[in-house]
Amino acid sequence: MNKIYLFKYGLAMLFFFCALSSFAQNVFTGRVLDETNQPLPGATVRVKETGQSTVTDNNGAFTIRNIAQASVTISVSFVGYDVTEKAITQGQSATVQLKPNSRSLTDVVVVGYGTARKSDLTGSVSNVGSKDLNPGPITNPLQQLEGKAAGVDITQSGSEPGTAPTVRIRGITSLQGGNDPLVVVDGVQGNMDLFNQVPPSEIASVDILKDASATAIYGSRGAPGVIIVTTKKSAAGTTTVEYTENSSIDVIAKKLQLLSADQWTQQANAQGVDVSANHGSNTDWYNLLTRNGYTQNYSLAFGGGANGFNYRASLTAISQTGTVINSKFSNYIGRITASQKALDNRLTLTMNLNSGVNDYTYSPTGVGNAAFTSNLISQAYVSRPTDPVFNTNGSYYVDPNVFQYVNPYAVAQTVSNDNHINNLFGSLRADLEIYKGLSAGWFGSWRKRDSNNGYYAPAASTLTSAVSYNGQAHINNDHVDERLMDINLTYKRDFGLNHFDATVVYEWQRQTYNGSYSAARGFINDIATYNALQLGTLANAQTGDVSSYKNDRSLVSFLGRINYSYHNRYLLTASFRRDGATVFGANNKWANFPSASLAWRIDQEDFMKSQHIFSSLKLRVGYGVTGNQQGIGPQNSIALVGLNPTSPTVYFGGSLIPNYSASQNANPNLKWETKKQTNAGIDFGFMDDRLTGTVDVFTANTDNLLYNYTVPVQGPFLVGNILANVGSLQNRGLELTLSYDVIRGKNTRLTLAGNGTLLKNKVLSLGGNIQGYDVPTDYVSLGSNAYLLVGKPVGTYRILQHQGKDANNAETYVDQNGDGTVDPSDRSPDRVEAGQSLPKYNYAFTPSFTYKNFDVSMVWRGSGGNKIYNGLRQQFSILQYLGKSNVLQSAIPLGIESTQYSSDLWLENGAYLRWQNLSLGYRFNLRNVKFVNALRLSLTGQNLALITKYKGLDPELVGSNLSGGDYGIYPRNRTFSVGLNVIFK
Amino acid sequence: MLSLAAVSCTKVDENVYDKYQSDEFYATPAGADNALATVYGKIAGTWGSNYAGRDNCWYDLNTFVADDQVIPHRNTGDWQLDFAQLYTHTYQPSLGLISNTWNWLYSSIYSANLAVAQLTSANADPSKIAEAKVLRAWFYYLLMDDFGDVPFYTDNNTDVSKIAQTKRATIYNFIVSELKANVDLLSETRGGAYYGRFNKWAGYMFLAKVYLNAGVYIGTPAWAEALAACDKVASGGFTLHAGSANAASPLGYSYFELFGDVCPDDETIMALYLKENVVSGNIYGIRSLNSANGMALIGYNGWNGTIIMNQFYSKFNTNDIRRNQFLVGQQAKGNTTYNPTVSSLISPGAAPNDGIRDVKFFPAAPVDASGASNDFPIYRYADLLLMQAECNVRLGNASAALPFINKVRERAGLTDLTSVTLDNIYDERGFELVFEGHRRQDMIRFGHFEDARELVTSAIPTTHRLFPIPISALNANPNLKQNPGY
Repeated sequence: MNKIYLFKYGLAMLFFFCALSSFAQNVFTGRVLDETNQPLPGATVRVKETGQSTVTDNNGAFTIRNIAQASVTISVSFVGYDVTEKAITQGQSATVQLKPNSRSLTDVVVVGYGTARKSDLTGSVSNVGSKDLNPGPITNPLQQLEGKAAGVDITQSGSEPGTAPTVRIRGITSLQGGNDPLVVVDGVQGNMDLFNQVPPSEIASVDILKDASATAIYGSRGAPGVIIVTTKKSAAGTTTVEYTENSSIDVIAKKLQLLSADQWTQQANAQGVDVSANHGSNTDWYNLLTRNGYTQNYSLAFGGGANGFNYRASLTAISQTGTVINSKFSNYIGRITASQKALDNRLTLTMNLNSGVNDYTYSPTGVGNAAFTSNLISQAYVSRPTDPVFNTNGSYYVDPNVFQYVNPYAVAQTVSNDNHINNLFGSLRADLEIYKGLSAGWFGSWRKRDSNNGYYAPAASTLTSAVSYNGQAHINNDHVDERLMDINLTYKRDFGLNHFDATVVYEWQRQTYNGSYSAARGFINDIATYNALQLGTLANAQTGDVSSYKNDRSLVSFLGRINYSYHNRYLLTASFRRDGATVFGANNKWANFPSASLAWRIDQEDFMKSQHIFSSLKLRVGYGVTGNQQGIGPQNSIALVGLNPTSPTVYFGGSLIPNYSASQNANPNLKWETKKQTNAGIDFGFMDDRLTGTVDVFTANTDNLLYNYTVPVQGPFLVGNILANVGSLQNRGLELTLSYDVIRGKNTRLTLAGNGTLLKNKVLSLGGNIQGYDVPTDYVSLGSNAYLLVGKPVGTYRILQHQGKDANNAETYVDQNGDGTVDPSDRSPDRVEAGQSLPKYNYAFTPSFTYKNFDVSMVWRGSGGNKIYNGLRQQFSILQYLGKSNVLQSAIPLGIESTQYSSDLWLENGAYLRWQNLSLGYRFNLRNVKFVNALRLSLTGQNLALITKYKGLDPELVGSNLSGGDYGIYPRNRTFSVGLNVIFK
Repeated sequence: MLSLAAVSCTKVDENVYDKYQSDEFYATPAGADNALATVYGKIAGTWGSNYAGRDNCWYDLNTFVADDQVIPHRNTGDWQLDFAQLYTHTYQPSLGLISNTWNWLYSSIYSANLAVAQLTSANADPSKIAEAKVLRAWFYYLLMDDFGDVPFYTDNNTDVSKIAQTKRATIYNFIVSELKANVDLLSETRGGAYYGRFNKWAGYMFLAKVYLNAGVYIGTPAWAEALAACDKVASGGFTLHAGSANAASPLGYSYFELFGDVCPDDETIMALYLKENVVSGNIYGIRSLNSANGMALIGYNGWNGTIIMNQFYSKFNTNDIRRNQFLVGQQAKGNTTYNPTVSSLISPGAAPNDGIRDVKFFPAAPVDASGASNDFPIYRYADLLLMQAECNVRLGNASAALPFINKVRERAGLTDLTSVTLDNIYDERGFELVFEGHRRQDMIRFGHFEDARELVTSAIPTTHRLFPIPISALNANPNLKQNPGY
């Protein structure tokens, strides 16, 4: 409203002075710079004495004429910066440097292919600034966002070192098409693994584009949402040296209670287990395989700059030792970013170079015989407590009478499973101002990722395959090469009360994947492990020991966006993108993705000026079409012949020859999933923004749902499944974010903040016509008794009801339709619906308190409305297998000898509330100390409490797992950490 | 330059570097030829999808439901209940073995249809087309033998998910006419390039099997036709492999070479080539041995699985060389004593060393913990001789049957019979062909399928002569009707 006032009266004043004071026409000039000493165009300069005002040009320069006084005080303001006043004198060019205000990061939002002021947003975007990121022992930037944004569900299943959390933005919108959001780091686009390349302490802000009007600009990659990470730039003028470290001790939060050796012996005797199965030892396998873990995170960042130039460099080292022995992770990231102005500040060149190394030592997976293969730690439940760890001769104990017996401690001690990943990406951006308001840009990025995975299991590991062949080794080498280039034009113009800006972009990207796999068996000793496959025994070679691949995918896009606003009250954003992709079928190479959204800043209206209830109020509504092509791999649309995967060699005509067979059906109609989303939202603030909040409601329909449909092998179908776009899925949701400053004093501030999301999801249709054949898909089992059912939420449980036990202690089931038999088939009337695998709601409560230099913050978060099929509890509750394995203590009172089918006895409530984070910090003010500017110490506890009825290790295991089954996870950590942050002078 | 870049960068055609595209692949003669090899690849298959060798498919389904072998649940917790439930006939239609067998057969039929179509359109050698057609008929024979009325199609463009079951008799007629039209086109070569393939003799053996069971399939026996087909096979010049003691042979007798690494050409009519981890593998030896005995005999822990019930074993004559395939009592190696009596099959299960073991397929190299390389005799001359004997008895010509059965007995070290009854033939088939996958069919044909069995308390219903249609197939095709009794 100031601006309008100024516009009307300022202009009148100007004329007044022009007319009356022609004898005293002083001219004032100057430049406005930002914190990095870059010119700041568009800043408002107002003369306090006269009320005159002007706006800085592209060089940050301003000129004010027709002023009678020889010196005046100007007030310079710009969104995101503190208002600065300065006395200036006629004839002497003044320089005004603005400092970003405390809320600057939340005021400027990075949207796709550009930025916007938060107040101008018309879509649904969550913004998290660096100061709001979760503190503590962070190994992946996603952990910093847990609980921070409504509709953004970040889950972590177990705490295996180096494993990334899963993110779901506004729920599951695809069954097979992938639900991982697109990740954009300083313009470089990539998958979730790009997060491994982002030093957690170098993040300036994270913007999460949630609704289709915001993500449609990313077209066929936008449907699952977009996470945009902006890294820190140096504050120029001064040099910056900043050191951050955090060290934690990680303990296992919960263990399952299995039978002790005495209990096992007692039970085995009671049950008539052959005495030969009792080996008389007393071993706590779980304890033997676990330990306390440590996580360390060090980061050194420095930078600075002069006029037209600034840079920032950082080195980060993250190291984590897991709570399961022989599992660890380390990550080293070096990055440098530099920016230079040229051509009289019309050209800006920005370069970014990022290089990193990830080293993983994974705890082996797929351990055990076919009856129960799992991650290594879950094998500790299998092992009888009466089995010794070692034989008397010091070798690892095995019981030859148990089929494919595994000694988990031997596996942990002897198997190598290492993964080394080298990451390199760089980008160059050139922005050129061609003419007033018109600028052109070029952006190119290149990312290379080389991954090398080595595995060696010696005969001592007790793993059957390794014992059979006296050691086995394999190496995977995988190379990913991602290139992206875009050319863009932007135009900005104000006329009268109208503001207009437009962007058009041409973008080209290609990802190339190639790699190889080789394996060898039969090693005379274990010295070289996987490093010299040629030392294995050639005679032991098997089909499939050698393989390689190469494929690529390209995406070509034309896109544009128009922002229009009138009177700063009515805002319109419209965007359009056309994508062509190599992975689409021949009949559907190009796709269009339009969107439009409107916002009304009610608080700017004249009639709002007199009220004092609302300090801000904005209505938003938007609609957009986005796509998802993650689920389509290269060459998925064409008919292929390959080696038969299960029997690659056939004996024919007297010799062994390769066995080729159709490996994929043709689908020339294969295309992106189409997600049409409508969003309506309201942003509000009461009492001078002491209470602020956002409410969004949305409906999203995913059509052309990608699914690997089961088809009869007949007609055009050469194999029994085809990736096709047939079904549709609906998601509806409500998001609420609230923040209330209970105390907002000079020294004391207490903020209660939180967010919540309600999600409702429904399969609208599944089956349909594929290439002339009806595929009446329904009752699709996702495993663990969770189904895809038309008209029901994804992962609806249909399960037999537990009844009791028969005379032989075999589990019995309720015969729902009373026909005398229990039918376990998918469509059986004996199955009953019993909830869903996906949470219906999740929420977070994030209060924070500061008093002078002391601060406390907490994160509590939870979800619910879902069930979990506790497959692990079922597996270890069946007494029939007691003779060769251990069982849970809870299995004894249950007394079930055998189960024929899975039942709701093992289906449990998955709701939980977790005390995710508690952080205490103290900032030492050291302005008078030489060299050190500031020093902050912090203490953080993570996963301090978990409130849940779930009987397994941890209910947080959904995410990528649609079926909601728990078959054993790596233990979840509870961590306690100390952090230090020093800023040097 | 900008527009040039834009033009070259709007191409979005797929690049294929590392795969064969179907149309290119099958357009070559080598590709069409490969279609036939692929059908044979189906017979070997692998876990859950094979005729014999690995587990959980046709062989396991058809043998465990009979009386010549069983895998008991052990009171140490080993072995799931599936196999014992088949033996005791307490299995459910949802049993994975049943759907595995059904799915294996239909996917085999599909590849046979495909091979017929591709070889025909490539104008391939008529013997190859005939071979593909005989293979297809064979899969239908196995299918209707197990399941009765089943969906039938020979053109892959048929919408199988909607077709109803075809009567067993109609499929029988198809098989017979398909064989009559094609068997004589097959190669007469034995062994070599035709080892493991349907040559003319294997084709007639298959026809003889179909006729032999005609009474079961269509209610009207065809003993004369069966005998005529047997005679055709015999004209191929097969002889019994020697039965003499031979220290170099497995288990000390040349006889067991029949079940060794390669099935000998003299007696083998149709073999299944197996080589551990290259072409599937043969688990029947290692699955039976217990761990210590297995380690001592072959260097790998046995699985302590399959046993033969004492009821079956005790019928063997002590002079019978074939009895050497069984391990019972104190063993020379591995500090093991196999106890011939079994206390329980399901709950609480058998004690670890209960049960007589069978190493007819004594593991042949290459061998590892998951199997061995013994080939599997699908059809052999001894089987044919017993079929000839049976047909003669059935046709009321018992004296003509004698030489046939006596040849088999002589090789086994037994004295000649002086008269022969159907019971003699049924028993002799049991002695000669135990563990070879024929027992279920024989028990049904001779009317012994429902006989009392050791440790089985409830009567076996006659409806169990057919397996249930798998639940997954009923789900997929609403026109299918479940077999009675399930």
